[in-house]
This record gives sequence, C-alpha cells and structure tokens, in this order.
Amino acid sequence: MDLSNLFAFVIFPYITLVTFVVGHSYRYFTDELSWNSRSSQLLEPKSLKIGITLFHWGILATLGGHAVGLLIPQRIWDLFGIDGEAHTQIAVWSGLLVGIVAFIGILMLIHRRYTQPRIRITTTVGDWITLIGLAFVITTGLYNVIFGHYYILDTVAPWIRGIVTLTPDPTLMIPVPFSYKLHVLSAFFLLGFSPFTRLVHIWSVPLGYINRSYLLFRRRPAIEEQI
Amino acid sequence: MRIKAHYAMVLNLDKCIGCHTCSIPCKNVWTNRQGVEYAWFNNVETKPGIGYPKRWEDQELHRGGWKLGYRGHLKLRAGGRGKKMAQIFHNPDLPAIDEYYEPWTYDYGKLIKSPAGKHQPSVRPKSQITGETMDVKWGPNWEDDLAGVNRTGALDINFRNLEHSIYLKFKQVFMFYLPRLCEHCLNPGCVASCPSGAMYKREEDGIVLVDQNRCRGWRYCVSGCPYKKVYYNWVNGRSEKCIFCYPRIEAGLPTLCAQTCVGRIRYVGVVLYDADGIRFAASQEDEEDLYPAHTAILLNPNDPAIQKEAEKQGIPPAWRKAAQRSPVYKLAKEWKIAFPLHPEYRTLPMVWYIPPLSPVSDALAPERSRVETLDKIDTIDRMRIPITYLANLLTAGDEKPVRMAMKKLMAVRAYMRGKQLDGVGDADAISAVNMTPETAEAMYELLAIARYENRFVIPTVERTGNTDLYRMQGSCGIPGTVPAHGPFPREEESSR
Ligand code: HEM
Ligand code: SF4
Ligand code: SF4
Repeated sequence: MDLSNLFAFVIFPYITLVTFVVGHSYRYFTDELSWNSRSSQLLEPKSLKIGITLFHWGILATLGGHAVGLLIPQRIWDLFGIDGEAHTQIAVWSGLLVGIVAFIGILMLIHRRYTQPRIRITTTVGDWITLIGLAFVITTGLYNVIFGHYYILDTVAPWIRGIVTLTPDPTLMIPVPFSYKLHVLSAFFLLGFSPFTRLVHIWSVPLGYINRSYLLFRRRPAIEEQI
Repeated sequence: MRIKAHYAMVLNLDKCIGCHTCSIPCKNVWTNRQGVEYAWFNNVETKPGIGYPKRWEDQELHRGGWKLGYRGHLKLRAGGRGKKMAQIFHNPDLPAIDEYYEPWTYDYGKLIKSPAGKHQPSVRPKSQITGETMDVKWGPNWEDDLAGVNRTGALDINFRNLEHSIYLKFKQVFMFYLPRLCEHCLNPGCVASCPSGAMYKREEDGIVLVDQNRCRGWRYCVSGCPYKKVYYNWVNGRSEKCIFCYPRIEAGLPTLCAQTCVGRIRYVGVVLYDADGIRFAASQEDEEDLYPAHTAILLNPNDPAIQKEAEKQGIPPAWRKAAQRSPVYKLAKEWKIAFPLHPEYRTLPMVWYIPPLSPVSDALAPERSRVETLDKIDTIDRMRIPITYLANLLTAGDEKPVRMAMKKLMAVRAYMRGKQLDGVGDADAISAVNMTPETAEAMYELLAIARYENRFVIPTVERTGNTDLYRMQGSCGIPGTVPAHGPFPREEESSR
C-alpha cells in the first residue's frame, strides 16, 4: 500500500512533470512547425462556436482557481481573514460555476468530434485521448465539488505544494477519498501527455500582440540560416 | 524619408483572356498538397460576380482590411487587439471552407475497372476531406464566363450606384476577367491581424510572408486580409499565402503566374516608396483620395535626389537601376493607367490593374450620359462595361482617373492605327489627353509588343557570404517535402 501510494503521489507526478518539461522543450526545438492548436474552425465553424468558447473560458477560470486556491498556503489566506471554511465555500461555489461551463463545453466539443464527418475524419488518436482525458478530469472534479465534501486544505493542497517545491510528502494523500485521487492522477496523466498533443498551444498565448506595432518588417535571413 | 524597394506587378485586364494558365503552375508548384488543395494563390474570376471565397469584396460581411476610426486613426475593421484576444477561440470572421469550396477528386480507376455494361461508367466527385461522395457547389472560378451570375450578380458590390438588374439582362450584360493574387500590400491587414507576429514584410523587397515556424494557427490573417489571399491549411494548422515566388524572383525570374501568362498581360518590376508615408496614404479621410495618396508615396527613380538618397539608405545599385526601368512605375505612376484593386480597403495593395476597354454598345449610353445626341456622348460611356463599375473596383468610385486612363488607352490605339495605316499618327487623339508622340509610342511598345526583358525587370538578390548555390537547388519549399539541403548530396557527404 505504502509503495503504491509512493508511486502514485511522488514518482508518477514527477515522471509526468519531467515528461511535460522535456517533451515540450524537445518538441518546440525540433518540431516547431507542429506547434499550434490545429484549429478545425475552417472545416466546421458553426458547431464549434459555443462549445469551444464555453470550454476555454471555463477551463481557464478553473485552472486559475486551482492555482490561486491550491498553491497559496492557507495561512496566507488567514492573514486576509479568509479562514479554511470560507476558502472552501468560495472554492466550491466558484468551482461549481466554471466547472459546469467547462463541462458543457467539453461535451459539446466531443459531440462535435464524433458527429461531424469532416471533424471526425481529421481527429487523431491523440485528440481523442486529450478530449476524453479532459472530460474525465473535469467530470471527477465536478463530482468532488458536488458530492465530495472533503476538506482538502490540510491534505491535497499541502501535498501539491510539496510537489511544486520538491519536498513531496505522499502520506498526506493517504486519507484522501478515491474520487479525489482519481481527479489528481488523471490530471497529472494529462499533463504528461500534453506535449504530444495540440495542447501545446496553451503555451503560445500571443500576449505580445497587445502592444506590438501592427506593421512588421523583417530582413531576409542570410542564406546560411535558411538551410 | 525612409526609402524602401518593393516588387510590384501590373496586370493589363484589357488583354486577359481568362485562360487560367496562370493558376495552374502556381497550384502545381505551391499548393498541390493536402490541406491547401482548396487554396489558389492565383485564381481568375469573372466580373461581375461574387468570386472566391463567396463575396470576398464585401467587407460589411467579411470585415477584412482597415477603416478609419476615432479622430481618423486607422483601425482594423474586425476590431483591435483586445477584441481579437477575447475571441481567439473562435474567430467570428473566418469564412468556412465551403465559402471557397469543398475540395474534391474523382475515383478515376472506376472508369477503367468497371465491368462491361450497357452504359459508360461515370465518376462522381468525392470530397478530399471526408472521402464521401459530394455535390460540387462552388470553386475558384465558379462564375466562369458569367455562369450563374443571374443569381449571384446582384451581390457584387461593384454595382454600387448602378442598377444591377439592367446590367444582368442578357442583352446588356458585360464581363471581363480579374486574375487575383496576394497584393503584397504596403499596409497589410494580414500582418496587422496576426497575433503571434508570424507574418511580416520583407525589409528588402516588401514580399509578405508567413513564417511557418512562428505561425500558431490563430487564423486572424485569413479574415484580416480583405482580398482573402491567406489560406488556412486544415491539415497542419498553419496559414499559407502567395510568396511572390520568391525563390524565382530572387534569382531574377518572374513569378510563375507572370512567366506563363498566355496573354502576356503581366508586368513585374521594382518600385521605390517612402515607408514613412504609409500611414498618411492609408488614412486619407475621403476614400477617393486613397488612390492618389498611394501613388504619391511611390518615388520617382529618375529623380537624382531620390537616387542619391536611396543609395545612402542602402538600396543596392542593381535595384536602383531596375527601378528606373520598372514597367510598374511607368504604368502606375508615370502614365497613371494602372490602378490598385479596391483602395478603399486601405491596405495599399501593390498589384495594379489596367482597366479593360470593351465594345461600344449604345443600348445604355443615353442613360449614362446627360448629353442628348449619341455622337456627343463620351465613347467611354458607350462601352459595354460601365465606367462606374470599374471605378468601384479600382478607385473607390472616383471615375475621373479611370476615365482618363481609358482615354489614354484609346488614344494610343487611334494614334498607332493612323501610323500603321496612313503612315502618320493621329496627333489630335493624343494631344487631347496631353500625351506626346513619344509617350504614345512608349505606351504602345510596353502594352502591345513588349518583350520578356521589358515586361519583367527583376534585379537578382544580393548574395553575401560564401554559399554553394548549385547545391542549394531544390532546397526551397515546404519543409519535409525535400531534404533540407536539396536533392544533391553535400560536398562532405559525396566525398565519403
Ligand atoms: C489561454 C490560452 C488559450 C488559447 C488562446 C487557446 C486557443 C485555442 C484555439 C484557437 C483553439 C482552436 C479552436 C478551433 O478549432 O478553431 C483551441 C483548441 C483547443 N484548446 Fe485551447 N486555448 C487556450 C487554452 C487552453 C487550455 C488551458 C486548454 C485545456 C487545458 C485548451 C484545450 C483545447 C482543446 C482540447 C482544443 C481542441 C478542441 C477541439 O477542436 O475539439 N486550450 N484553443
Ligand atoms: S493581399 Fe496579401 S499582403 Fe495584402 S492583406 Fe492580403 S495577404 Fe496581406
Ligand atoms: S494566364 Fe494571363 S491571360 Fe490567362 S487567365 Fe491568367 S492572367 Fe489572364
């Protein structure tokens, strides 16, 4: 039991994190040409619109919530007068809202991938794993929010901070209910899998556009650089 | 003044025969791959018509290019940076592939493999996306020779201020061809719309390119270009566009479309322009002022002061010389007979068009003119193609410059007819349009009988560094299709 716990909550997360970092760097530097979201809007715009929009706003808010809620220790929240109970309430209600938005979005995207002939034929195995993986993570997350009622701020939260700060403590995860473990592990799986999918587009958000000049001139590269 | 050199092209619509020869080598060389089979960097449309993709000219619908916003500032019609970022997940202005056409092929094998039977075997179009049988509904030249224009013609925006129903009647109908390619604009909407900064103009020659490595497939360039000349590759998720055949151009050869043009309607040359004037030229308040402002920033290469300044700013000697011989400069600026396509999009396009003359047909002339008797009506108004239509296409509706250009074209004809039949040119005809016999003859030379080296005045690129050009042959193109260094082994490899 201890060994499998150690594997699941120390070794496995680090394997996925290393895959995440090495995978992304390797792909970026050796195959930048494939680094995009492989948009399918051209082929089938109508069925995409609502699903993709709901999903993205929902998932971005969810990820933001996770970062703020889990990575900042409870004692800092306490300083601002937000105790664990209040923190949990905020997290549950906001998580419920954005989680449902993302959930509806991903269901619509999966439905589209399955039913639209043009989209279905251009879908790769990696796309299916990504979409179904995301749906799984979102579903278990929502399940925990609605049915879980487990206080995570003393267990899962410090554990994940331990992972981030390279001081992992797998024992923190022992008392955690199975559905939470499933959520965490599937999320880490997706993290490790993402460098091999279209999810790489997340790291290319074009923030530079905001204050860039509209017109760009560039010199022709020297011949030596062209090949 | 910031002088830059720019490749530019002129197309003489008067001579285009609509053969589509230009489109074929372009397709064969640049877009014969899955993902861009629907893309035609060069396509030839019949006007009137709504074109490819459907209604591309209608910016109320497609929202490409620029408009003037608050206090006369240039704004992208589709909205600024913030709006783009907020809608990045689903670009509201991206045309669906069906607006171009669903690419198709045929199962040709069926023609020879079918068992003997009473009827000839036939093949049905099959989608190149899904492989399913499909109905062909649109294409890059769907309205060829006015096919179906009785249905689509009413949506052609160039009928502005004209009663389209009159001109779409069988007896009054008119047509001409409009070959289209990327305009390599001075103020490109595509570059401005690209969030990742993958698109750029080449400093040296103004060619607009998509850096395939940097493209992240946000597909705003496609909608940002008012001419719809950036295409999204649905297989690899990146955008592609006309590259002005830069591997050829750099070697001093014209683009494939220009080289192969059967009607010899295309001219390629270099112009010098003032890059500091771009904003000024593109943000004229009155749309009719855009065309003159655009020509105003093209610099006179024969002016010694400009030559000196260009030399100081590092324009290579061969380029300055080529600019002096440039057919584009002559046609667009000196003689003012070539015009930019839809200047009102404010992108300052650098592919110019000479308006077509057309047969005289008096059916509608009285309606077009206030003069009572037919012989007093300007011949231009008696032509089949209404001048208003051409002005809507080429000068944002200002008829004066187009009328003048057409008069010049007619005067050259009259002059040369006289010269060849009677031995003396019709001097009245050309002085009526303020032309000297020398200009008339130069115009005739360039428009009618110019040879290859006068239609295409293309300086080769300055190469620096020690490069093995021979071994680089064939190395250009799309990554993955040829070995990175070309088909020939490198020296170190071949000596092994
Ligand atoms: C923050 C910046 C992000 C931007 C700008 C962005 C943008 C995009 C765009 C443009 C597409 C293509 C849509 C189309 O087909 O036209 C896309 C697809 C997708 N994105 Fe994102 N995205 C972001 C973040 C995320 C995140 C955080 C996730 C998930 C964790 C995600 C998951 C996906 C998935 C799964 C698809 C494919 C959907 C489908 O085609 O079925 N994205 N994204
Ligand atoms: S015509 Fe060419 S340069 Fe101009 S906006 Fe379109 S793609 Fe860009
Ligand atoms: S090859 Fe020349 S004449 Fe033929 S369609 Fe193209 S531009 Fe017109």
